[in-house]
Amino acid sequence: MPAEIFNPNPVIFSAPKSAGRLSDLSAHSLWVNDPSLSEDDEADETEPIDQDEIYDLIRSIYDPEHPNTLEELRVVSAPQVTVGTNRITVEFTPTVPHCGMSTLIGLCIRVRLLRSLPERFKVDIFLKPGSHQSENAVNKQLNDKERVAAALENPTLLDTVEQCLANAGARGGHL
Amino acid sequence: MDDLSHKITPITHLQGHTDRAWHIAWNPTKPLLASCSADKTVRVYAYSTSPPSPSTSTSTTYKFTLLSNIPTGHAKTVRAVAWAPSGQTLATASFDSNIGIWEREGTGEKPHTHTHTHGEGCAHGEHAHALDGGDAEDDEGGDFAGSEWEWECVSTLEGHETECKSVAYSASGTLLASCSRDKTVWIWEVHPDGDFETISVLMEHTQDVKCVAWHPTEEILASASYDDTIKLYIDDPSDDWFSFATLTGHESTVWGLAWSPAFPKSKSNQTSNSSLMPISIENPGRSHSYLASCSQDCTVRVWQRTAQHKWECALVLRGHERSIYSVSWGRGVRRPSSEVEVDVEGKREREKGYLGWLASAGGDGSVLIWELWETPSTNPTPTLNHKLIARLDSAHGVHDINAVAWCPRSGHEDLLATTADDGGVKVWQVVPAVALPT
Repeated sequence: MPAEIFNPNPVIFSAPKSAGRLSDLSAHSLWVNDPSLSEDDEADETEPIDQDEIYDLIRSIYDPEHPNTLEELRVVSAPQVTVGTNRITVEFTPTVPHCGMSTLIGLCIRVRLLRSLPERFKVDIFLKPGSHQSENAVNKQLNDKERVAAALENPTLLDTVEQCLANAGARGGHL
Repeated sequence: MDDLSHKITPITHLQGHTDRAWHIAWNPTKPLLASCSADKTVRVYAYSTSPPSPSTSTSTTYKFTLLSNIPTGHAKTVRAVAWAPSGQTLATASFDSNIGIWEREGTGEKPHTHTHTHGEGCAHGEHAHALDGGDAEDDEGGDFAGSEWEWECVSTLEGHETECKSVAYSASGTLLASCSRDKTVWIWEVHPDGDFETISVLMEHTQDVKCVAWHPTEEILASASYDDTIKLYIDDPSDDWFSFATLTGHESTVWGLAWSPAFPKSKSNQTSNSSLMPISIENPGRSHSYLASCSQDCTVRVWQRTAQHKWECALVLRGHERSIYSVSWGRGVRRPSSEVEVDVEGKREREKGYLGWLASAGGDGSVLIWELWETPSTNPTPTLNHKLIARLDSAHGVHDINAVAWCPRSGHEDLLATTADDGGVKVWQVVPAVALPT
């Protein structure tokens, strides 16, 4: 990790332990907690996945430079998740507009969703418009599958991502 | 969809890569297909044909067999593969920043020559005649089947600082180009015995270079980049290689490039059916003057040569819903002129200016195929025309398609290969939607 701290003193928001629909999720989720539904289930049954389920998958990702989750820093929120037919768009908000960690945060979100969602979903990840001074550059890199693939073959970078994802299953589901 | 003149029919699904399959390359002279993957391997398949049999089937049957599984030794993803024009040598581009040069084991004992098109360096008994040039009548006989081929790395080209994304041999086979995220394009001179000499390092792009492609007959190189542009290069004999043109218009990363193919001057492009093919070769003014590009902006653009060293955008093709990762321009198969379903004037025009078939594929999982042809215009340059002739959605199920490639070998120009994120390689045949009367 670089020595420079981009936001030394972020605002931390409390995150109630029983956030929103967690109990709903456990009771009704068709895939998140159900090990019997494997990826190669060819039944063509499209299990609905909603905004809150996606949010539950990413809210507990740690910020790369703080001991806080993306939820606590309000980097991600449920309304910033859009779910379409096999398409998911995640928007996130860096804590400061010069945040050099934005690409890494986006990569963590992408990896978390790659590992958690059925293969049929295409995921696009963007910064909240106007939230970052290098918005276009970060967006372009996060949605370049070749750059993402190469980044994940970098052991140092992958290690950092794994650390951010270490507790990502605390909320929402495990597969 | 119903009104499209052709359909894309499956030939085979080649599984075996254990991670994302990135790229494929048809051998230009032999019945071989190579694929590469994030699993760091290259798989080489041989194919053979059974002629149409009136008793069992009405069409040619293709059979694909795994010939080699090359571990490569690359430390990271093998991103691209390219055959030399001789068909004897395979190049690999890897995220480990190196280019690998591969030849069949045993062939290195003899001096390595890059200009031969026949297999004197590979005379291994029963394989020898199959290694002759592409039109040998016996090379469909399955000589490759059942035999294991070993490949050895005869050279590793080091120089790029970060991931290599693409590699390509020039038409003569004497030059090799490579590109990388380090923003550079390297041109290497190919010497005998696996020796390579760096002759130019081109630093024209401001970002990641995604693809390099050589003109089919001239020593013109094109490169495509994350900086949304395409650069064209030639050699200044008294100086160095330089970029003589920048093509702008794409609104995001340019992922792939394909030059319009050269058509043989001396014979029909469909040897097996030449009587049906009174075509197109008589157009001496046509000089392979188009370049196609595909982009993250979900368009394919076709650039037309308007002067010796000038290309301009002549066409923007739409139809994909997500990023287009690959484009391939093949000679295709012309339908007999009597079958062309256009008016008389249009028919004549298409016969004259036929330019082949352009295929594109990408993140939406669809394969689109356009026929392209040019017609005279009042401008100095002809008008470029296009028609979507075939479309297949979900060609690899839900998976992104990373590469599409037409078979360049005579008589097999209707074969198309695709690779996808699930590691699968598929081969397709593009045939008339309505069977031709016989």
